[in-house]
Amino acid sequence: MFAIEKGGNGEFILSGRLDASQSGKAQELLDTVSASQVLDFKDLDYVSSAGLAVLLRTQKRLMSQGDGLKLVNVSKHIFDILRYSGFDQVFQIEQSD
Amino acid sequence: MRQEFDKSLTSLKSVFQFVQEFFSRERVDASHRYAVDLAVEELFTNMVKYSPEGTQAIVIQLEKKDQCLEIRLTDFDVESFDPTQAPEVAIHSPIEERTPGGLGLHLLRKLFDTMEYEYIDRRSRIILKKNLEVT
Repeated sequence: MFAIEKGGNGEFILSGRLDASQSGKAQELLDTVSASQVLDFKDLDYVSSAGLAVLLRTQKRLMSQGDGLKLVNVSKHIFDILRYSGFDQVFQIEQSD
Repeated sequence: MRQEFDKSLTSLKSVFQFVQEFFSRERVDASHRYAVDLAVEELFTNMVKYSPEGTQAIVIQLEKKDQCLEIRLTDFDVESFDPTQAPEVAIHSPIEERTPGGLGLHLLRKLFDTMEYEYIDRRSRIILKKNLEVT
């Protein structure tokens, strides 16, 4: 199960598992983002390369207009995946405590 | 443990349930779960997307021998696709030059100790091994 909900401060809260069967749904939602946006990963358990592709496509689109995604409350497992992918160089990332 | 899965992305949920059963039965530490989920998803989806000519079920085998975890995925009646020969991903390129392609295999190379490929009689098999003593 994967979901994105709008939080009280305008952030998007991602939850569940962002795998290949859910990446279309994630892309559809992130395609509606038109300016800099915070994505809260506190309830996100898993992301595969299909989910990373969604993040990268969205980031490229936003950065071309001077905006970008900020990923917050990122767990250690997901941070490792982002770092191995070089995403720590192209996203603003804050790890969870 | 061995199980067959229909060659479709809709099988992913069952694939992850199979991994969960394996971890429970073999008492594998949960810290390795992410890597194993990622391995079966990346290899399974590659077989679904890039070897559509074979319509037989994909076989996944998970085994723990001493402290070595072995993952095998076998796809039948397909052309050869050797993931060990896939080019490295340029993860340090500027974002405008980055593409998502190849990230899955790149991650598996980081997370597993070895990746082997066999292709015999149109049967394609990928084998990943990981030492469970190293987290």
